[in-house]
Amino acid sequence: MLALVTVSAIFLRWLPQHGLPILLLFTVSAATAAGIYFTQRRRYRVSSHGIRKEMHDADITAVLWTAFAGVMLGALGIGVVLIG
Amino acid sequence: MTNREQPANAPEPTSRGKIAERLLPGGEEPDPRFTLANERTFLAWIRTSLALLAGGIAIEAFTSDLFLEPVRKGLAVVLLLLGMLLSAGSAVRWLRVERSMRNKAPLPLPLIVPLLAAAGALAAAVVLIFILWR
Repeated sequence: MLALVTVSAIFLRWLPQHGLPILLLFTVSAATAAGIYFTQRRRYRVSSHGIRKEMHDADITAVLWTAFAGVMLGALGIGVVLIG
Repeated sequence: MTNREQPANAPEPTSRGKIAERLLPGGEEPDPRFTLANERTFLAWIRTSLALLAGGIAIEAFTSDLFLEPVRKGLAVVLLLLGMLLSAGSAVRWLRVERSMRNKAPLPLPLIVPLLAAAGALAAAVVLIFILWR
């Protein structure tokens, strides 16, 4: 989460050179960080219950969303470097 | 006791989501510690991918007086592309490891390790050649 916040702050450094499209990158990164922050208590609770019950379902949705956010940030970043 | 019978203190099977049923079919739930360890490894790869994304942005934003524009853009694209591939690769690796654990099969070799090593070496070679040639 903190890494995403840091990356979103670094994206802002591009604002003077590339203009408003950077806000899209900032929004994707910051929204992902916010999503992780606001769901971490629930995920921690589910994980600790899973350890106690010796049964825990893999959180496949969270993994796929996080990976998708990384791919989106990379693709948008490349677009900005090549086009912007 | 046959294979179908469960011991009295066995945990009740939970209904998994449609995505989980589709992407992680068959087998049985591994030890939760292993599942969580797999998730931690995935998050470590994601951190590496985010560091590469930040590095790509930093090269493009901060080195305009150091590198020529094509070199600067090339390096930034290599780092951003690598970050993107690592992000996707880490999810694929998480999935493959989770499947192996469910089916009690040997763990797969990490394909993203040679990818990261090769692309890191390529980026370092580009910088080295540029510094020597300059």
